[in-house]
Amino acid sequence: MDNMTTVQTEALKEPAEKKTSRLEKKDITKAMWIYYLGAELSNSYERLQSLIFCASMTPVLKKLYDTDEELSKALKRHLVFFNTEGTFGAVIQGIAIMMEEEKATGKDVTDDAITGLKTGLMGPIAGIGDAIIWAALMPILISIFLPFASNGSPMGGLLPLILYPLITIGVSYVLIHQGYTLGKKSVTSLLNGGKMQSIIFSANVIGLTMMGALSASYVKLSTPLTFVFSSGNKIVLQDILNLIVPGLLPLLAVFLIYFYLKKRGPRYNLILGTIVVISVAAAFLGIL
Amino acid sequence: MSVLPLAISMGIYYWFSRLRLGYTFSSMLLQPVVIGIFVGILTGNMALSMQIGAGLQLVYLGVTSTPGGNVPSDPALAGCVAIPLGVLANMKPEVAISLAIPFGVLGVFVDQLRRSTNAIWVHMADRYAEQANTKGILMAAFLFPALLGFVIRFPIVFVIDYLGVDAVKTFMTVVPTWLMHSFEVMGGILPALGFAITLMVIGKKKLLPFFIIGFFAVQYLKLDTMAMAIFAICTALLLNLFKIKEEA
Repeated sequence: MDNMTTVQTEALKEPAEKKTSRLEKKDITKAMWIYYLGAELSNSYERLQSLIFCASMTPVLKKLYDTDEELSKALKRHLVFFNTEGTFGAVIQGIAIMMEEEKATGKDVTDDAITGLKTGLMGPIAGIGDAIIWAALMPILISIFLPFASNGSPMGGLLPLILYPLITIGVSYVLIHQGYTLGKKSVTSLLNGGKMQSIIFSANVIGLTMMGALSASYVKLSTPLTFVFSSGNKIVLQDILNLIVPGLLPLLAVFLIYFYLKKRGPRYNLILGTIVVISVAAAFLGIL
Repeated sequence: MSVLPLAISMGIYYWFSRLRLGYTFSSMLLQPVVIGIFVGILTGNMALSMQIGAGLQLVYLGVTSTPGGNVPSDPALAGCVAIPLGVLANMKPEVAISLAIPFGVLGVFVDQLRRSTNAIWVHMADRYAEQANTKGILMAAFLFPALLGFVIRFPIVFVIDYLGVDAVKTFMTVVPTWLMHSFEVMGGILPALGFAITLMVIGKKKLLPFFIIGFFAVQYLKLDTMAMAIFAICTALLLNLFKIKEEA
């Protein structure tokens, strides 16, 4: 009987000790994985990524807070509106975990300070993340291996499927641990340093060059129009166009759509409809 | 593989890729060029699957990159319908691309439905948070949206693929030549929309000369994509070295 009680009290003591000790590295990595796995899964119009942010904090919060009351308060704190780019967003997670740990170990960290930090950073971080991860890395990776796919090889899909997650998870892993150990300092280097600007600039240069190269190979637009003169001379319009600038029509098509989008906003369905009408009409008349 | 198991497999694939399990993993999984691998394995015609996948990919190259995660068009629905149907009806890639477009548009509404219904789970999580139920919150973040997602996603692709095979095959035999040619023209122009959207997403008008360099390097010098990537990377590095950067 006595033995039982000592075991029980020791079991009870354990969480109290954990409260003062720092979180383990694997707890933070676990938070990163939960956020990575579900960042878009539960995404809703109402509060976007709030649910997954809260869910990703559960392994950490469970360790930091002993009473249900404290835990419940912490969970609710992380269910407020949140949305950012999921790869670079890991740095916000890291900082939030550090602040929660400080709060749990008795430092004076208000709820507003934690929420304020999250909402303050989510915009700028999303800007960097969207520009690097989505507008640059993803199309570049796909386009580098696209020729494999158009030649019928599965490598064209397999390589991007492996490399894209590998690279982005690597970035998240570094950022969440940096966020946790360096705190707010970790973002100042991200946001203020010229380094991010350089990376975005380089990515844009590479991305645009690749898009140009692919447009030349894959936008197919030519005219079969020929003019036969009474003298018997035949003029093939496409030959003349090729003499002026090869690929003139595909280039025009891309830029026409681009400048229309730029001027009128993302009216994709209207453009799709126009392409359908033009194609059917031009094919019927024998122009294209 | 006969049509029924194929339609079931494609329905499951569409659900799973659109589940978005794994932030960047799933976003690659739902690209036509990856769907092509799956269809290639199922149908045994890897070459045509990948070619249609590649063509379709170009139309949707910039689509997933829109800030805020809103989809203007759904490459996964387009791919899960057009690639298997295109392979079974032995279509030219350009024709299959044209076939895909209406489904890409339809997919947007499906995603809006998902994001609206997902609000249910946030409210559920609010209650779990009140009870300090961390397990419940994880269920609300993963399990419940996944189950509802299946109900929303699976039937669409299953029905279209199951009923579509015969319809498409019949269509291919009765369609007049000029109309068939118009699909080829469409399939040739549609990638231009994909590139234009990607240019929009990159959003650096001042850097457009790089696009033109890439375009004519292929037109005049016949460089392949990998060579172009190498030159582009070196150019970017050198420009950084000389600190020639745009202001902003």
